[in-house]
Amino acid sequence: MFASGTQKRHWMFSGAPEIDLLRREANERYVNAFGQKMDSSSKREHFLTPGEEKLMMRHFEFILSSFCKKFSPIMPKYVQGTALTYFKRFYIHNSIMDFHPKDLMLTCVYLSCKVEEFNVSIGQFVGNLKGDREKFANIILGFELLLMDKLHYHLTVHNPFRPLEGFLIDLKTRYFKDKPESVERLRKNAEEFVEKSMSTDACLIFSPSQLALAAIIYSAGEDGISLDNYVTSVLLNKTGPEDIKKMVSQIKRIKSLVKNQEPLHRELIGPVQRKLENCRNQSNNPESEVYKRRLEEMFEEEEEERSRKRARIAKEEKETEKQLLGY
Amino acid sequence: MDDQGCPRCKTTKYRNPHLKLLVNVCGHSLCESCVDLLFIKGSGICPECGTSLRRNNFRLQLFEDAFVEKEVDIRRRILKDFNKKEEDFPTLREYNDYLEHLENIIFNLANNIDVENTKKMVDQYRKENKEFIQKNRLKMSRDEEYLEMLIAEEEREAKSRRELDMIEVKNEKNKKMKNKEALIDELMFSDLPASAIVAGHNVEIMEEKTTENTAPSSMFSSGTSFGFSKADGKVPVLSDLGEEYIHTPCIFDMLGPVAPTEKDVINNGYLQNIREASDSDRGGGYESRMACQRALTEAMCGLFLDSENLT
Repeated sequence: MFASGTQKRHWMFSGAPEIDLLRREANERYVNAFGQKMDSSSKREHFLTPGEEKLMMRHFEFILSSFCKKFSPIMPKYVQGTALTYFKRFYIHNSIMDFHPKDLMLTCVYLSCKVEEFNVSIGQFVGNLKGDREKFANIILGFELLLMDKLHYHLTVHNPFRPLEGFLIDLKTRYFKDKPESVERLRKNAEEFVEKSMSTDACLIFSPSQLALAAIIYSAGEDGISLDNYVTSVLLNKTGPEDIKKMVSQIKRIKSLVKNQEPLHRELIGPVQRKLENCRNQSNNPESEVYKRRLEEMFEEEEEERSRKRARIAKEEKETEKQLLGY
Repeated sequence: MDDQGCPRCKTTKYRNPHLKLLVNVCGHSLCESCVDLLFIKGSGICPECGTSLRRNNFRLQLFEDAFVEKEVDIRRRILKDFNKKEEDFPTLREYNDYLEHLENIIFNLANNIDVENTKKMVDQYRKENKEFIQKNRLKMSRDEEYLEMLIAEEEREAKSRRELDMIEVKNEKNKKMKNKEALIDELMFSDLPASAIVAGHNVEIMEEKTTENTAPSSMFSSGTSFGFSKADGKVPVLSDLGEEYIHTPCIFDMLGPVAPTEKDVINNGYLQNIREASDSDRGGGYESRMACQRALTEAMCGLFLDSENLT
């Protein structure tokens, strides 16, 4: 349930400014950690700016969505929605430069498949990718735990798709009693609206039911139908005026957010991507030597820890044996 | 298992699947035919260790390892005399000492350590505790008696149940016959049309079936009774009942208009507008109202979220 879950408690923000601020802070943290000896102008040249980061993020969100749409077997929409939500949440507190979105993007989709019970094995999953599949599988599994950790294991995501179904049923039952089939006409545009809202940060600001209602109202408007009467006298007939006002303003904000979404400037992507290759954190790059060394060290440490444990247990056993035998 | 064989004639289980290995007190095995041959007089010596043995002490070898066999045999013999129970000792410590003493004796006899002294010890114990041993044996037989009584009772109950069933079946048969006869009589002598008579008759039969009372099932019991047996006279008493549990339903703030309840979903026509559950869905316990109610609840939940004033 959304109202009592982690989505509301930890992953709802007041609006775009708050999210932008958090992302700028993440960017600054990274720049300050890796560019201690540089002056501000070379910093700007070497590292991505918050704006460039945002561009990268949107670019990879787009890739993520098209990957989900082409996925075989056909992927339900809510898997894509959950994956996008993970992706957005992850890059609120982490910089694009710290973890490359091309790796995290796949991990988000893979994790979302698991959480949303869309059952694919890792082999099946990387079968949808071109190139070295084993490498991709290693990258995905390598980042999976890290992603969950950064999401604070808040893995349940409420998507607007089920509320949308709910509103369609409610409209058919309580408002268009005489011609329930006319409601189906609203579905296509409403789903498109939800889809469009997923490329914004709307899922970090609004509740899924608000998004669904906004989608329905938008779609009805496109069709030349006004749902004001439904909202005020059917849906909210027992609600105080304050709540109504609040909700209406939220719906308005959603509409303007989705409508005023800037188009993606594709021509800018290439140079930014090259810049990112230079300034990214190599210790989080699965293809770099540093990363491989670190992984090996971690592995060795684990092995060492295990052998230490074994030695300790053996010693303890010997001690107790000695005591028992009374030496 | 197949390489198990008689040490004297070297026959193995592989060559003779019917081979029966016998064992005597010394713990060495011999096959059945060798026993027949060697102990034709009724007694003789073990071909392995030279212990003198009697023929009627040969038993079927249960364990592959002859030593285990021997140990089990000794244990059985010793336990016949050393039959004290925990309640016969004032403290646990003394009981444990007794058990250890017992194990020592068995170990010594099985491993041929100090056999003479140990045997003497056993004899002495037997003499000293003659009465006690006798008493404990009696006690054990009392336990067995109790078990036998339980089993006998159960058998008796089963028998009476069977008889009741038989009587019932017989009664039913008679009744059916009678009904049939009555029907035929009626068909012969009544003026009503045949179909009406048959229909009326069927109704009667149905009524009879529904009013048939089922005999109360008698208590079922297996040989062991659960909990404490009545013979002890002890019944566990619940001493502390604690505080009574009172259920308080959870109340969630749904942050939205009130969603329709299960009843509303069923009565207010919501179900007409969703896909009906298929038989295979219902087989798994799914009903279409579940998905419907879930969608409606999620649509209502969170509508009043005010992101500008998040708490």
